[in-house]
Amino acid sequence: MSRRINLQDELRQESAALNTRRLFLKNCAMGLGAAAMGSLLSACGGGSITNTGNAIVFDPANPLAPRPPHFPGKAKSVIYLHMAGAPSQLDLFDYKPTLAKLNGQACPESLLAGKTFAFIRGVPKLLGPQSNFMQRGQSGAWISDYLPHLSTIADDLAFLKAVNTDQFNHAPAQLLMHTGSARLGRPSIGSWATYGLGSENSNLPGFVVLTSGGQNPDAGKAVWGSGFLPSVYQGVQCRSAGEPVLYLQDPQGIDRDLRQASIEAINDVNRKTYEEFKDPEILSRISQYEMAYRMQVTAPEVMNINDEPAYIHEMYGTKPGQEAFANNVLLARKLVEKGVRFVQLFDWGWDAHGTGADTAIDVGFINKCREIDKSITALILDLKQRGLLEETLVVWGSEFGRTPMQENRNGLELPFKGRDHHADAFTMWMCGGGIKAGASHGETDEIGFNAVSGKVSVYDVQATILNQLGFDHEKFTYQFQGRPFRLTDVEGAVIKQVVA
Amino acid sequence: MKMPNFLGKNPLILAVCLLLAVLLLANFINFGGASIHYATQVKPILNKKCISCHGGVKQNAEFSMMTREHLLRPNESGKPAVVPGKPDESELMKRIQSHDPEERMPYEEAPLSKKEISILRQWIKEGAQWGEHWAYVPVQPVKVPKAKGFLGIFPAPKNQWVQNDIDWFILDRLKKEGLSNSPIADKATLLRRVSLDLTGQPAPASLAKKYLADQSPKAYENLVDSLLALPAYGERWASMWLDLARYADTKGYERDYKRDIWRYRDWLIRTLNKDMPYNDFLTEQLAGDLLPNPTDDQFLATAFHRNTPTNDEGGTLNEEYRVVALIDRVNTTFEAILGTTFACTQCHGHPYEAIFHDEYYKVMAYFNNSRDEDTNEDYPLLRHYPKADSLKLDSLCRWVAQNDSPKRSMEIYTFLKTLQPSFYSIASDQFVNCELYDTKWLNMRNHASARFQEVDLTGKSQLILPLCGVVGGGRFSIHLDSLNGPLLLSIGMEKTANYCDTKAYDFQPVKGKHRLFFRYENPALASDPRKSGIGFNWFYFTNPFPGQGKPGYEQKLADYWALIRQDPPTTPIMMDNPATLPRPNHVFERGNWLVKGQKVSPGVPALLGKLPAGAPSNRLGFAQWVTDPKNPLTARTMVNRMWEQVFGQGLAETLEDLGSQGIPPTHPELMDYLAWQFVHEQGWSMKKLLREMVLSATYRQSSVGNPNLVEKDPTNKFYARGPRVRLSAEQIRDQALSLAGLLSHKKYGPGVMPYQPDGIWKSPYNSDNWIQSEGEDRYRRAVYTYCKRSSGYPSMLTFDGATRAVCTARRIRTNTPLQALVTLNDPVYIEAAKAFAQKMKKLGGKEVKNQIKKGYGLALGKHIEEQKLQTLVGLYDKAKAKYAADPKLVQALFAEPEPKNAAEKKPASLPMPAYSAEDAALTLVANALLNLDELVSKN
Repeated sequence: MSRRINLQDELRQESAALNTRRLFLKNCAMGLGAAAMGSLLSACGGGSITNTGNAIVFDPANPLAPRPPHFPGKAKSVIYLHMAGAPSQLDLFDYKPTLAKLNGQACPESLLAGKTFAFIRGVPKLLGPQSNFMQRGQSGAWISDYLPHLSTIADDLAFLKAVNTDQFNHAPAQLLMHTGSARLGRPSIGSWATYGLGSENSNLPGFVVLTSGGQNPDAGKAVWGSGFLPSVYQGVQCRSAGEPVLYLQDPQGIDRDLRQASIEAINDVNRKTYEEFKDPEILSRISQYEMAYRMQVTAPEVMNINDEPAYIHEMYGTKPGQEAFANNVLLARKLVEKGVRFVQLFDWGWDAHGTGADTAIDVGFINKCREIDKSITALILDLKQRGLLEETLVVWGSEFGRTPMQENRNGLELPFKGRDHHADAFTMWMCGGGIKAGASHGETDEIGFNAVSGKVSVYDVQATILNQLGFDHEKFTYQFQGRPFRLTDVEGAVIKQVVA
Repeated sequence: MKMPNFLGKNPLILAVCLLLAVLLLANFINFGGASIHYATQVKPILNKKCISCHGGVKQNAEFSMMTREHLLRPNESGKPAVVPGKPDESELMKRIQSHDPEERMPYEEAPLSKKEISILRQWIKEGAQWGEHWAYVPVQPVKVPKAKGFLGIFPAPKNQWVQNDIDWFILDRLKKEGLSNSPIADKATLLRRVSLDLTGQPAPASLAKKYLADQSPKAYENLVDSLLALPAYGERWASMWLDLARYADTKGYERDYKRDIWRYRDWLIRTLNKDMPYNDFLTEQLAGDLLPNPTDDQFLATAFHRNTPTNDEGGTLNEEYRVVALIDRVNTTFEAILGTTFACTQCHGHPYEAIFHDEYYKVMAYFNNSRDEDTNEDYPLLRHYPKADSLKLDSLCRWVAQNDSPKRSMEIYTFLKTLQPSFYSIASDQFVNCELYDTKWLNMRNHASARFQEVDLTGKSQLILPLCGVVGGGRFSIHLDSLNGPLLLSIGMEKTANYCDTKAYDFQPVKGKHRLFFRYENPALASDPRKSGIGFNWFYFTNPFPGQGKPGYEQKLADYWALIRQDPPTTPIMMDNPATLPRPNHVFERGNWLVKGQKVSPGVPALLGKLPAGAPSNRLGFAQWVTDPKNPLTARTMVNRMWEQVFGQGLAETLEDLGSQGIPPTHPELMDYLAWQFVHEQGWSMKKLLREMVLSATYRQSSVGNPNLVEKDPTNKFYARGPRVRLSAEQIRDQALSLAGLLSHKKYGPGVMPYQPDGIWKSPYNSDNWIQSEGEDRYRRAVYTYCKRSSGYPSMLTFDGATRAVCTARRIRTNTPLQALVTLNDPVYIEAAKAFAQKMKKLGGKEVKNQIKKGYGLALGKHIEEQKLQTLVGLYDKAKAKYAADPKLVQALFAEPEPKNAAEKKPASLPMPAYSAEDAALTLVANALLNLDELVSKN
């Protein structure tokens, strides 16, 4: 876009934004909702946010404008790595020598009483760890030889060894983990974060989603949906094949010059229309078209990993030109570097039931571990060397964990070693973004079935993530259907043990 | 009594004093009377400051303010917190004014303001009277605030602007706000506005021409009537209702399999076009199956509540997701139809309204008796027979009625239409050597047994069972009451030729209810204990086909079995359990479906009025309550919704919540006036209601604003100007295709798949693909676009379309760069721009200027301003120069995209039409036109 247009536009936008903001604040003072953004604004008309002086004030004409959280957060952005399907904590982080000794024995009936499993029926047999464990680093964290690279940076991580969920099916458990409700319809954590903080880079979406493993997560796009929040806060899926963002590319036969000329013409005509109607929405539309034009330039640049130096590719173990988790991890680093608020990765294919070799703990599961180990380790080291780790919260986890018992689907012994879904206790870890490096919180019993200490819920994990971003999860609400809704519903407490 | 002297001397002074005394007294009476209004003055304070700890959710210190009865009963201290008439003796007043932080309420929160304290004091002084929130009081007739003449006695001068009663309400409020109305918009603007609002697309050319030429005062009214009569009307309003019905073509969770339920969408379009009264429209959707002798359409209507997502993920508990669907039905009914938040009472009493925890489960009891059980097949299903079979069915039922009984005929009709009331094998338990495969289908291995619920066998002597035999040579048996109990029947099973074979098995009649035990033995599987021999999904207890020996019996019996074995297309519908199979109804403690509390019977929340006399205790009775003219919410919710669709925002902005926490209506009297008219004058006719709205001067005003007006009323909630909002996702697409001349007018049928980028659908364990539709199906109206819940049609979602996973009562409009990218770059819009440009060229004459004028005129119905025209001509010139210099760019623009379907490949001999640099430049201009704010907005 030409310099002239830019300057003129900036001036116009400034005045428009000021004007709109003034109206908006006036509205607030009068305690009336504004129709355009609906109840989004009702926070200013009453409710817990205003009462505590934590109002989220932003410009409805620019809903992604950056704005401060409740208190200064340690993390500016989040990279959330979700292993869809649920990896086995018992073969990666939660070392249980007793389980190894009891391998092949029938599971004690007392543990099974009143429990429901997705596929286990009757009395299954215990299955010992399939990997070799060692204590790593100064912290002495147990990490198995399935993750040799990650083992070298154990001291940077903070483990939650007794996370608990109440959902034992993938889709509902993923929904609970990301939206605070096991049913469809609620906003995802990334939507909440962008709603609360806006985005630092208006040329890129504030909430980006990257998927790998060939499938979307079981819960579908609802895990990055905006629920009842305005759709502007939904995650934007960036793709490694085709256009990085849908409809980003100019059509064939319309080059950059023509696109620029056409956007200028559209905006010129719209300015005339504004003179007639004086509708502030028109000014907002003008700036959205400007932003779209800039996004067309910025997004492909950021989404192109080919420009990264060879040593970075080597470090992450990328597979240029393919759909690969490692590529997405590198992209995640590039995106947070550019000010993207929330980057959500979903990697599909972790559901190791043991119904075939690809889902066997000692075959397919090892391959999945190899796919993530190097790149995740590289991400943390890379963020560190760029001075970004302190302000970037990295979260690794899944929707639940896996049973200490071998799966006996349909009451039959399966040909491969697999484990069923386990909701009672599983492992997650966090890193950077004000998290206490080398910490470990929570313990499970001798076979890794139940938590014996430091049990934390999905809501506690969410409360902690929001805390690192500067939000009091109890006061971070959105008025909908006549009541203030929270990501953490009516539960959750910050897990202080892992906060630095 | 002796008068003071000075008064007696002057009658004038006396008169003045008396008058003053009267005035003072009057003032005092007023002050001493009900000067505090509970619902508008007291309730907001309680909601904001008190009720979160002393209401439906928590009752700290055993004190609740949910109802007046609660307020006045003794709390933990043994005394009530409020003594009516005596604020100084009321603990509540002491607590809110205390200086002791341990005592002062609200605890650890900001204290009440002086004004709030004085309101509460006065309220208690006046007796702490309760009052109802406006939306829970039945609608009463409202007086229209027409202008009055001098002293209110003489006739007012005629107001030239006013078109109908709506306008008086609007003027009344404008006057109070110090604003004035705008003039009526020009004809062209009105034509586009009302066409998009009523039909979702530009008016057909013939209608537009007729209207613009019609100089009579009735021209606009005639236009409105013509538009309301177009079939496009039903499609546009179905789009709205589908968000409420959370309609989609897939099931929702995980694999998100396909669901054939589009016939419900078609029912909706047909029914809206017929203008079925809204009360019947609701009754059929809520309880069409319970109407006497329901028609196919009445069954179809009930698919409204079969649009609930179901979970086919392996390992899920079917009962859990049956309950999830049940809860969804209750919540959707309240959010969509009753405009009230009810979902929160799942776990506890309502935080703000006097709705109790158990009342949620009383309402749920109406829905709890439906036959669906989260089966993979979505039973119960309505079977759509081809015409010939439908005739056969009718004739068969007539024959049974004549040769046996009408009752038996009805039974057979219901069974053949729905295969109900049958039992689903997923309800089995105590599996030995058998399993619900993938937690969906009962499969049995050698030495298998399973238990089933109690079944009333009285009067039955035949089992109809679709048994699938994978391995021959086994024996399937059913025992009563225990594994080794009396044998009901035993079936030798051979390998079935087709997937399953539905057959009848006769047995000796037994009386009463019995638990069933299934057993299966097959020596052929002795060496392969892992292999399943048989499986079945459902079974049905009945009696042999009646009328043996009567003339025509053999033929009818053959028809009967041919129909049973048919595999026609189906639609999921609502049906209730038979009387012999009622489900118990309980409160779920803290909303947990596994923790069942007290038993409840069907009923409605006391706050919202009573059931009409004689209402049956089932969904039909509930529907009668919903559609009772006395129901305070149904009509208000609907008129508010229709208003929002036409004016861009509701009279009460929170369409989903008219309760005390919702945003209060800007024009409460108008809302009640419209609601009363809707029910009592318009006979619940949605078309009449809409007609009234769009005929008002309020609607017809110009939407041109001025800085003063925009500052005073930025969101136009006082309606001093006409509505101006961005079009919906559907309208934007339909308009572009319509302008391009591409829009297909084909109606009905399965969801279509217009252009969508590759790689969007990636549901696990689901190999379904987006297969681009061919021919005109690519250009169908947006309402027909296939809707996959886990992965919606991207460009529609970008324009705030709903994912349809849950009821969406209101789309919140946003304005984002991603929307710009859709209309700029989405191949759908590029294709539309190409066609639109050709139309401009064809109709606009030789000069480019005129072609652009024509395009703008076609889109907006008016002449383009000179400056705008210059800008677009400038764009054209620049583009033409560029395209002329670079013919490859022209070729690229018009290159046919690689055909996605092999069948669609054009023969190589067909030459590509030649396009010029001018064509390309005009296409770019057309693309710009489709992106103008005026185009994507209603002006």
